[in-house]
Amino acid sequence: MITETKLLSEHYDNPEFKGIEGYKKLGGYKVLGDALKMDKQKIIDEVKASGLRGRGGAGFPTGVKWGFLPKNDETRYLLCNADEGEPGTFKDRKMMERAPHQLIEGMIISAFAINSPKSYIYIRGEYDSCIEACEKAIEEAYKAGYLGKNILGSGFDHDMDVYRGAGAYICGEETGMISSLEGKKGQPKLKPPFPAVQGYLGKPTIVNNVETLAAVKYIIRDGADAYRKHGTEKSAGTKLFSVSGNVQDPKTVEVPLGMPLMDLIELCGGLKPGRKLKAVIPGGSSAPVLNVEDCAKAKMDYESLAELGSMLGSGAVIIIDDSNCMVDILATIMHFYHHESCGQCTPCREGTGWLNKIVHSIAKGDGRLQDIDLITKVAEHMMGRTICALSDAAALPATSFVSKFRDEFEFFVREGRSKVKGGLNA
Amino acid sequence: MPKITINGQEVEVEEGSTVIEAYKKLDENIAHYCWHPGLSIAGVCRLCMVEVEGHPRLQIACNTTVQDGMVVNNNSEKVRDTVKWGLDFHLINHPLDCPICDQAGECGLQEQYMEYGKYDPEMAERKVKKRKVVDLGPTVVLDSERCILCSRCVRFTEEVTETNELGIFNRGDRSEIGTFKDKPLDNKYSLNTVDICPVGALTSKDFRFRQRVWYLKEADTICTGCSTGCSVKVYYNEEGAWRVKPRHNPDINGYWMCDEGRDVYKFVNKDVRLLTGLQRKDGQNQELPSVDAAKLAGTVVRDELEKDKNGVALVMTGQFTVEETQSLVGTFAGDLGCKQVYHWINNEDSFDSFDGLLLRGDRNPNTKGLEKVLNDQAINNTWADLKQKLESGAIKTLVVAAPENPSLFPDLDEKIALFSKVQNLVWLSAAKNEALDGLNTNVWQVPLKTFIEKSGTYVNFQGKEQPVKAVTTIIEDALTLTEVAGLLKGSDVNVTDEAQKMTSLKYNYFTQKRGNL
Amino acid sequence: MSLVTRPGELSRWYLPGILSGLVFTFKKMVSNIFNKKKMPTLNYPEEQYEYGPRFKGNHVLTVKKDGSLRCTACMLCATNCPAQCITITAAEHEDPTVEKYPISYEIDVLRCVFCGFCEEACPVDAIRMGPEWQTAAISGSEFQYDIRQLAYRPSLQGGVESRVDEQERHSSGI
Repeated sequence: MITETKLLSEHYDNPEFKGIEGYKKLGGYKVLGDALKMDKQKIIDEVKASGLRGRGGAGFPTGVKWGFLPKNDETRYLLCNADEGEPGTFKDRKMMERAPHQLIEGMIISAFAINSPKSYIYIRGEYDSCIEACEKAIEEAYKAGYLGKNILGSGFDHDMDVYRGAGAYICGEETGMISSLEGKKGQPKLKPPFPAVQGYLGKPTIVNNVETLAAVKYIIRDGADAYRKHGTEKSAGTKLFSVSGNVQDPKTVEVPLGMPLMDLIELCGGLKPGRKLKAVIPGGSSAPVLNVEDCAKAKMDYESLAELGSMLGSGAVIIIDDSNCMVDILATIMHFYHHESCGQCTPCREGTGWLNKIVHSIAKGDGRLQDIDLITKVAEHMMGRTICALSDAAALPATSFVSKFRDEFEFFVREGRSKVKGGLNA
Repeated sequence: MPKITINGQEVEVEEGSTVIEAYKKLDENIAHYCWHPGLSIAGVCRLCMVEVEGHPRLQIACNTTVQDGMVVNNNSEKVRDTVKWGLDFHLINHPLDCPICDQAGECGLQEQYMEYGKYDPEMAERKVKKRKVVDLGPTVVLDSERCILCSRCVRFTEEVTETNELGIFNRGDRSEIGTFKDKPLDNKYSLNTVDICPVGALTSKDFRFRQRVWYLKEADTICTGCSTGCSVKVYYNEEGAWRVKPRHNPDINGYWMCDEGRDVYKFVNKDVRLLTGLQRKDGQNQELPSVDAAKLAGTVVRDELEKDKNGVALVMTGQFTVEETQSLVGTFAGDLGCKQVYHWINNEDSFDSFDGLLLRGDRNPNTKGLEKVLNDQAINNTWADLKQKLESGAIKTLVVAAPENPSLFPDLDEKIALFSKVQNLVWLSAAKNEALDGLNTNVWQVPLKTFIEKSGTYVNFQGKEQPVKAVTTIIEDALTLTEVAGLLKGSDVNVTDEAQKMTSLKYNYFTQKRGNL
Repeated sequence: MSLVTRPGELSRWYLPGILSGLVFTFKKMVSNIFNKKKMPTLNYPEEQYEYGPRFKGNHVLTVKKDGSLRCTACMLCATNCPAQCITITAAEHEDPTVEKYPISYEIDVLRCVFCGFCEEACPVDAIRMGPEWQTAAISGSEFQYDIRQLAYRPSLQGGVESRVDEQERHSSGI
């Protein structure tokens, strides 16, 4: 029997956990009290030792990121990235709706560790329920003395605010988020300088995902070694996966990293009866697609998926069965990236539009055979050429769809209709 | 100072400078659109790709800081292919407007296409349609389709003028440059955005469709619109001058110039110039060669001086070169022995004003030079003195070295009314002035050369001497003030044109160089 | 140094040459009288030659469907013209999709060498070399062809329509 390992999502189903009273009853804010007595460097070292990696998509070690902050007493900011825009991802929403205090506690501990007097939770505009829940929770935390001046008598001051985004995917990129927070157009900034050196308002800034910051609480509570017990050597801990698509029971599950992909599908009730697995997008729409052979081998951790040429991303697992046309899916993905490109760098601005037009002309039955190779060519020249990774995010699925499901694209071009019966364009 | 190797050549650059600056220092070819030395780094066009040894990925040269011992190249196959594709991305939605686009001939896209492009386009889809001929303000027209969104103009209004009129609106390939509601692009430096636009998206209303750029020759000179004396390039052909653009000069104007300075070319063209010498005697107007007019005027001045030493005066403006000023003032004070020389200040209330960037209230290119000449001759007459003498009739003959750019002299008509109180007026000016044709005094008008027709030195507000060379000749009959000074004192002067007039048969470089191009 | 060979003795006998020439002329005259169809001479201007479609005669400025000039005043013909006989003055059009058009377009036909480079340079099929070649006129100024003469002369019957259509180009996204 495959089961979840519930660390972050332990009390998700308990409605009391949302309010501060229920949260405290279930052990909330105890860790904060302990952490505030600890040495700041000790917390950072602990997070480093836990092997916690950024849960937003890039998987950069969190402790190392915190270590990039300049060793001076400049004001620094902590930003919580709750602009969950990656298609297929809904893990942060659930966390903010059901356990906002868990996030806030993690944030206060992190802010204490990096000595930041001010933090923001940047929530995407469409997440009304999350904004409401977080604002209410922050208010409660202020009242209870967990935020504000001299928290729990430790002498540490911290303020927290919710910032509502306007629903731009690109604002989930850390520098794009900083621009948006500064009141500018949400466009990524040139790196270097990195945000840890020069970020929000030109000050050192740390941007972490909701799940990452919440996990900090459990690392401090249980210690790095206990956290490392979950997951694999290089991908430690548990991870929330948002499983969606053609499974019987699409939902957020928390499992240790390194779980085989097929087990994860099993955990969500498996495929619908009579359907066969065709492909899986393992890390949100920007991750290269896996075909059936890859799926059998795939383990859900950073390294194994990288070996298969894909990535874990934000943990949005999209299961695709044989009732779907891959051309249609790619057309949808391309439409998304074309719509969300900020338009700053030329290869991305023009490339996403170009890819969108080519894929849509194929999906309309107007494609030419050379268009299939052109998709790969255009995508290859978009990769690694821009300020942020959106260009790569659009190019990676395009190349992987074309290389792994070339027969479907060729069929569509030759016959002018989808290879899959029952597909949208069948 | 770190040393780096660029395409096999070693170069030493300043600490903290970027790789693209090192390329510029070596004068090596590197494609770029968004980078401009006078603006911040945007890093969005992604064309300045270079291969840095030890880095697996290509880097953009504009945001890569130089480190000692760096080995960089941009001529490998990998880089050229990347630049080719970068260019392709720029061009897929760029309209085929070259025939009607004013930028054709000096367009960044055309240049880079000839260097890196020359491929068969693979784009078979429809281009994105955007707004065309958008009026951004009193001086600039925008064509959104041609725009490559390099954001130079936006950064210019943000960083240089700090007026923030422009912005990029919308996202992705629907992005467009635009102004905010009811806030047109109307700052005093707006035309710089046209200069820095690497494509034909921003065009100047003044120059729009008037000439194709390949018909124009360019030459270096300085702007005579105010005492800042910005370094400029003037574009001209056989018909005259057509536009003025700033030239980089770190000491004076940086990369920019003001919109008003760009109008100086308008005062050198035939339509506003005095073409021949004019004599008005006893109510009769007569045209005559300029040399004859100057000689006649000289006879009158010398006769009057003999009658009354104090009956003659000279009015100078700071519009002439140091050499000219020296020779005319020297002729009066020395050869003719008349010390009544006066300095005409055109706009006394705003004379010392400064707009904070470039434009100064002193709208003469050589005020400092004139002051120095007057000092050397120990002349310090006041304008009030002249006014009193004119009104009392003590001065019977007046020689005026009048401005070539009358628009900078708001008090011109008022002053002419004052000057007309004399019996004989000698009016030395490049500009045509109809007010003089109906005066009751005797008038001799001598056409002068403008700043692009003569060589000389101007001294700007900082006291910096700026020598300029003659560019072209527009009015052949015009004289320099030096020549006029010689004629006034009665000596024979050999009148020559310093710059050759462009002849129409030589203007078409394309046909002349067919085969080389 | 060049060697000069003097004509020989035989060439002094010129009469045979003259006679043979006269015989040839007479033969042609007689044959033309009896076989008029073979006669190469034309009774110009009543009769005129038919020229090939690629003949480079007087210029024609083509027009759009609505009858306005196709020319965009890009000046490529004037630039390319080796005789420099084309003078164009451009202006801004009210319609932003047209943007630029010539308010004057003049060809000095007396300078023109009829090389056809203007036709080749034109990016929009606005200028063509037509079949007409009779350029007679009674004053010099009539050889300065203007827009009315180039695009709307009576022989063109309202103008020649261009192959390149702006509306189509715009709608097809070029």
